[in-house]
Amino acid sequence: MIGLSPPRRAAIQRLALPLLVLLSAMMVILGKADQVLFESLRLAVTDTASPALDVLSRPLAALGHLVDRARDFVAVYQDNHRLSEENERLLNWQQAAFRLASENARLRELLKLTPEPATTFITARVIANSGGAYVRSLMIHAGSENGVERGQAAVTGEGLVGRVSEVGSRAARVLLVTDLNSRVPVIVEGTQQRALLAGDNSERPSLRYLDTPAAIKIGDRVVTSGQGGVFPPGLPVGVVASVDGEAPRVEPCVELSRVEYLRIVDYGLADGLPKPMPIAARGGRRAESQAGDQLGRR
Amino acid sequence: MALKPTGAPAPQRLDNPAARLLPIATTLLASVISIQPAPIPGYAALAPAFTLMAVYHWTIYRPDLLPPLALFLIGVAQDLLAGAPVGTTALVLLLTRVVVLRHRRHVVNQPFPFVWAGFTMLTGGAMLLLWTLHCLTAGLLVDLPGTVFRAVLTISVFPAASFLLGRTQRAVMGAG
Repeated sequence: MIGLSPPRRAAIQRLALPLLVLLSAMMVILGKADQVLFESLRLAVTDTASPALDVLSRPLAALGHLVDRARDFVAVYQDNHRLSEENERLLNWQQAAFRLASENARLRELLKLTPEPATTFITARVIANSGGAYVRSLMIHAGSENGVERGQAAVTGEGLVGRVSEVGSRAARVLLVTDLNSRVPVIVEGTQQRALLAGDNSERPSLRYLDTPAAIKIGDRVVTSGQGGVFPPGLPVGVVASVDGEAPRVEPCVELSRVEYLRIVDYGLADGLPKPMPIAARGGRRAESQAGDQLGRR
Repeated sequence: MALKPTGAPAPQRLDNPAARLLPIATTLLASVISIQPAPIPGYAALAPAFTLMAVYHWTIYRPDLLPPLALFLIGVAQDLLAGAPVGTTALVLLLTRVVVLRHRRHVVNQPFPFVWAGFTMLTGGAMLLLWTLHCLTAGLLVDLPGTVFRAVLTISVFPAASFLLGRTQRAVMGAG
């Protein structure tokens, strides 16, 4: 445009604006009609931008650490007191665990139980708290090159964070349990009721399809049920935080806004997740690339 | 002609490439900052719309250096990175340009309260549009109180952003 005469340039600019407005409106509609239309573009952009995002997210993380350290320093006395109490309690548990582990090993031997498949995991840094205002997702700096696959569970030491929803070669997106589109089959411990943990973009997802909602109490632990085969059973998800209103709400175990490192765990169950189908039949390529990724995994 | 509003001096010519790229660079930076993880509960939902601030600022002072194509590309890239419906941010940014260019003479060379008032009205409209687009694509009513809060936060952060952008503009481009 630089070499053009001013009137022509102005004409192009006048035309460019309405055309681009129209184009973006069309993209919104097309993206809605065909969910996977922009997926490869999205993955390409994510992969390209991930090193830059990784670098840029570090100063902010460092600032967060500084604040945490100052806070830790203030609380050091109480923390020490609390931790020594906790340590005492945990040592008792350690004894119990040793006893149970040896007992378990003996019983397994008696039963000739086949061991559960070993789980492998990949630890990845969160590089973008992406999603903007209306999507709850995180971007992590690990992709198919590192063995991340669609459908794998994302966890921290505390419990479930979400699942991998899109995978690029160097970066992947994790859909959080609080997202509008997140549905996790769970069991409410205590009553052993099955339910579906449905996110709605709020901080606390709700429990749906309970048999007897009245039996649910605040403080009940919610763990994955393993139904549907995406998550293994027994993974901690959260605790029931409120029961009034139409559906009980669950406070996630993990403080989702403070997650800095995630573990992407492969329980060998990722095939349970149905692949998204484009409107036009072009599913073969996707299936092949997924198979290729599986070969590349450790 | 829309690009040369009355009452404003004609944009000065810039030979320095760094100065010519400044509006695009700062808008891109704002876009990246808005998707950064911050250890604040609920931050992702309430993160101020930094991109909107940059677009508003540059469309008032140097619309020639932040062309519609740049807005479109930055908007699409932000949607792709954020996992938002593709095109929503681009649409909002482009419409921001349309609206700001039309009313530019009310804010350019005016005291800051006028600029801020203009941004307040713009943010109200932009957030409402963004919310409507997300409702339409999601097929249900998404978080309205969060949207209102986000708009308020965006408006209250604007003076600081405007100050920084103005300072950078003067430092790189010189007075003008």
